[in-house]
Amino acid sequence: MPGIDECLLEAMTVNGARGAAVIEWTSGLALGMVGEVRDEDPEATAAETAELARMAAEQRAFAALGAGGAKGGSDSGAGSGPDADDTDGEPAVEDIIVTTRTCYHLLRFVDTAFDSGVFCYLWLDRREANLALARMRLRDMCGRLALI
Amino acid sequence: MSMPRRAGGRAGHAPSLTGLAAERASGALLCDAGTVYLRDGQVVHAESPVAPGIEVLLTTGGRLTADNWREAVGRTGPDGGVGRFLVDSGRLSDAELEICHLGALFDAAYFALGHGSGPRGFQRGAAHWLGPVCAVGAVAVERETRRRGKLLDSLWPYPRVDTEPVVLRRPDGRAPAVTPRQRAVLALADGVRTPARIARELGRPAFHTLIDIRRLAAAGHVATPRPAGPERPGRPDPPARSGASAPPAADRGPAAAVFTDPDIDLLRRLRDALEATL
Repeated sequence: MPGIDECLLEAMTVNGARGAAVIEWTSGLALGMVGEVRDEDPEATAAETAELARMAAEQRAFAALGAGGAKGGSDSGAGSGPDADDTDGEPAVEDIIVTTRTCYHLLRFVDTAFDSGVFCYLWLDRREANLALARMRLRDMCGRLALI
Repeated sequence: MSMPRRAGGRAGHAPSLTGLAAERASGALLCDAGTVYLRDGQVVHAESPVAPGIEVLLTTGGRLTADNWREAVGRTGPDGGVGRFLVDSGRLSDAELEICHLGALFDAAYFALGHGSGPRGFQRGAAHWLGPVCAVGAVAVERETRRRGKLLDSLWPYPRVDTEPVVLRRPDGRAPAVTPRQRAVLALADGVRTPARIARELGRPAFHTLIDIRRLAAAGHVATPRPAGPERPGRPDPPARSGASAPPAADRGPAAAVFTDPDIDLLRRLRDALEATL
């Protein structure tokens, strides 16, 4: 059963991979990082990446539809919504893809049965990478991280 | 930010994490608000009464049952290896154990090594029952602890919300929406539970809960406790813990310090408070 490092090393075998990390989006902490670094402060970069993941995970704009989720009356804040139960755990968002002129950035949330708030991050060279393939590889790797 | 009182320690002879790391020491660094475990100078675990332990994180979310946990502890004996057993017996994957362990380690280290908690002594040779999982450099742990302090202060620089019971407050109409994770926190905010207790009941790391509480306080969804004495932003109170010594009152700044850094949220909330008394 792979650990964090094995997962990251596998991520680096994806075509065009330049860097990979496992990051807590809730805190911004990088639990593991491999590959090239873009600047002198990779931990700050990880925290910035986590902030993007947090926005996607928490914004209602990206919440899962269906299961009575799209009701008219938006909750008024402090009131505990009765339909909070199934949005309470892992985020509805599966992955986030950012493309730049030279790179792809893939973020994939990891489903754990405890409160981890973790995602895998894969940074790819756009000239070499196949975005669709890389996304599937990352999805499979994240699936193997946890036993559930 | 300011963090002058860690490196030298207190009373001259208190051990420091960096010093112990440099001599590649193994043992337990006992701090006011927690314990940091070292092995050959690397941080291998940390515990704090404020931060839920790895057993709480794994069982509260339902990842392991209490029986699974008891079995692992019962089979491994006092000298550790619970983590290894959980993986070898197929209960957890390596990655799950590492993710949960590192999360718990940095969570507890934030309270043990953060502001208001200092090292008191070192128990040479002591090891944690979890056994070896991941080892992290002491410098990385200290750097992360500092980053976490700054992050909380950037969200809402009122550290008393971290330790006081969480009291709901009616937000004004423009307050940011509550996220699902925050909603779970609010559901337990009854004016009695502290953030640490809420974290424990939710099975979440305490620091993650503090982030939510600070955001909720900044948005006005929970009350920011009035400073009993004047409060100095950027200088958190020590985490609540029996036996932890409170900072001397003379250490506090003048009353005006509360208002040295007004921002829009604060002004808006002041307006709300004034309107409420009209």
